[in-house]
Amino acid sequence: MIQITGLTKTYRRGHPPAVLDLTFDARPGMITTLLGGEGAGKSTAFRLMVELERGHGLTLFDGRTYRRIRRPEREIGVLFSSGRPEAGHPGQRARAHLRMLAGAVGVPTRRADDLMEQVRLAPVADHRISTFSPGMHRRLALAAALLGDPTTLLLDAPAEGLSPRSEEWLHGFLRSFALTGGTVLVSTRSPEEAAALADRVVTLDAGRLAADQPVVEFRRTRLHPEVLVRGPQMARLADLLVAQGAQVRRESGVGIAVSGIGRTEIGELAYRNGVLLHELADRVMQRPLSFPAALPSGSGHSGEVVIRTVRQLAGERNAGEQLPVAQRTATVGRPAAAPGDERSDERSDKRTDERTVEHRARGHRALQAGRWAAAALAPDQSARPAPSAPPEAPAVDLTRRTPRGASALGRPSADIASVPAPTPAEPKPVVIDAEQLAANPTDAELLTPARIAGVGHAPTPGRTSGRAPTPAPASDQDGSQVRLRPVHATELRSAGQFGQTGHAGSVAGPVAGRAQAVAGEGGASAVRRRAVGDENGSE
Amino acid sequence: MRTGVSETVRLVACEVRRLRGVRSTWVVVAAVLLLNAALAAVSARRFPAGELTATGAVRAMAGVAPWLPLPLTALGAAVLGALVYSNEMRWPGLAASRVNPVRRFGALLAKLLVVGASAVLLAVLTLAVNTLVVRFALPAAVDASALLSLPHPAELTALPGLAPAPAAGPFAVGGVGRPLPAYLALAVAGGWAGLLLTALVRSALVGVLLTGATPALLEPTAGLLLHRLGLNWPVWIRELLPFQYGLNVVRVAADRTAAALDGMVIAALLAPAALLVLAVLVAQLRRRAL
Repeated sequence: MIQITGLTKTYRRGHPPAVLDLTFDARPGMITTLLGGEGAGKSTAFRLMVELERGHGLTLFDGRTYRRIRRPEREIGVLFSSGRPEAGHPGQRARAHLRMLAGAVGVPTRRADDLMEQVRLAPVADHRISTFSPGMHRRLALAAALLGDPTTLLLDAPAEGLSPRSEEWLHGFLRSFALTGGTVLVSTRSPEEAAALADRVVTLDAGRLAADQPVVEFRRTRLHPEVLVRGPQMARLADLLVAQGAQVRRESGVGIAVSGIGRTEIGELAYRNGVLLHELADRVMQRPLSFPAALPSGSGHSGEVVIRTVRQLAGERNAGEQLPVAQRTATVGRPAAAPGDERSDERSDKRTDERTVEHRARGHRALQAGRWAAAALAPDQSARPAPSAPPEAPAVDLTRRTPRGASALGRPSADIASVPAPTPAEPKPVVIDAEQLAANPTDAELLTPARIAGVGHAPTPGRTSGRAPTPAPASDQDGSQVRLRPVHATELRSAGQFGQTGHAGSVAGPVAGRAQAVAGEGGASAVRRRAVGDENGSE
Repeated sequence: MRTGVSETVRLVACEVRRLRGVRSTWVVVAAVLLLNAALAAVSARRFPAGELTATGAVRAMAGVAPWLPLPLTALGAAVLGALVYSNEMRWPGLAASRVNPVRRFGALLAKLLVVGASAVLLAVLTLAVNTLVVRFALPAAVDASALLSLPHPAELTALPGLAPAPAAGPFAVGGVGRPLPAYLALAVAGGWAGLLLTALVRSALVGVLLTGATPALLEPTAGLLLHRLGLNWPVWIRELLPFQYGLNVVRVAADRTAAALDGMVIAALLAPAALLVLAVLVAQLRRRAL
């Protein structure tokens, strides 16, 4: 039984704490997993548990702190993780190393040889550690942790660098260890591993306890299964799937990610409709955590202020994102052919989505992160335009870092947009970015029902109307001269009207001609691509 | 009590494994032996013709060169000590088990024991090798029959400091064998200084460099201090310490050379060592790892 109470660690004064008030229990007979991304504070938490670092909070192993245990190796096996492979001195042979540690722990050297067998390093036991791969280092370190035959295991990222086979072995070992009544606390980065291995999942985010759930609840609330489908006719399949009530998200390349419907049904649907599939695979996605509006304040360091402002902004952004998602799912649930008059009401919303999707298609996350980083790293940039633009007072302006962070994040969106976009060829990146940030970036990859409806119905009149005489490249160039947004809006509208009424007369000449040309040229996927506008819209 | 003894034995065995298991240990030992032999050969070739002086013989056999802060063996022992510490510091097999300061002190004590023993072994080895080399490399013009004759077994029991010096033979006052204990002590002290200084600064390289710098700083200070007090180093310590700035000052009053260590000299020698040990203990108390 490990009781972890209030672990807190701030590395530098004025910085956000690496771990803040971490409290949970790890019970015997169970595998408890500490789940968190890079820099979430997992390793710090482990080092705090055995008091390898100074910090606040207590960790009790059966009621005693680690330092009070007389022979800790006999009771607790500890494995730390650091960036470099460091099972032992590189000049030492593995067997000698393990025997040496066996001497230090006070077990016979036979135990070291047994463990060599168990971690499957026996064939290479007489080679120097410098010849080992990171996975072998990890296994050797694991063997060292198991030397004293402990009843409790504290393993920080034990599966890191392991081959799938070794990982399987490790999972089997940990499970049998827990079955015999041992306490296991393991950290991992991957939610799949946590879901597969653990009995209880403790999620850590930015040093804070985000969730402490049994694995069943974790699987239900934090993971959601998807099916990844690839093939040449994905737009058509997407229509069919949406008509079945599934949620479809566009993947990179020619793939779509489908949720809400099983793999078997997707395969059957594709077969019945003659859609060719190249790939059909299950996978698990992690749902992002929703943050509470106010985070608990920490030990009174000024670093708290920094992190709270950032998080609050992120929370607002999240909240802003959630709303359209809800709207979208509501419309997704509906069959695509149903609505008539509501569509015009939703059109503005769709337009926003259009732009978002278009922007997201070019690696949105990286662009956005880069922009934020640029804004945060160039404080003089925010300081220099201060005379021209009146500096707005940041919400929390107590520390040296806050104005920087606030200026990077809390600036009005137009100001962010003024940071140079990485594609200078764009004539009007400003407009796109501003609306982009006003809209939601995260879920923009979802194919909206509007577009799906448009895509679904556009090909039919496109095909029936025959080949249009206008060549596509010329119209493309025309389109790039015109202002970008209105073109797409009208184009979308034209597609929708194709679907509903089947006549394109009301739309302006060049646009209609272009849409027809596109439809004639490539069929459904081409139309969809134009409608999404990832190529000609941005360049 | 019994568990304490077995625990100490276990820790020492573990440290012996650690020292034996890496190649650098053997590289250091081989380098020390080779360099010693080379130094002995070169200085034996340079002996002036005639009767071999005790000072020259001692310097040749102990591997003392004027440009080295310590005899070569002591420097080698310092490197060994620094390596023993930094190996565990950089690659702790069980980092968590060293969180408790008591266990760290235990490990440090075991390391000190192992390093001291290996320094003594190294000193004996190099002495044997150097004696052979000097004997074979001596020019024909040098007469060494008086100095390098084998001691009688009875004289070996009368090692300096333990008994009054014999009238004649290598262990008599001014004989070649007279500085032997000081030589061994110097080797051990070098190893321990390397280990403790590395423990203080947590870097093997800096530890070794500091070990080399310490005698150059300490010896003039101690020599001057002793001179002020009207005391002096024993002659045979002088012969072993290559740096003689402080001793040169003292040498003016050469008539006042002490025949044996007295309390004041011992205190002057041990005070810096005690300071170092204290600093290491305090540093370990403040740390969480070696």
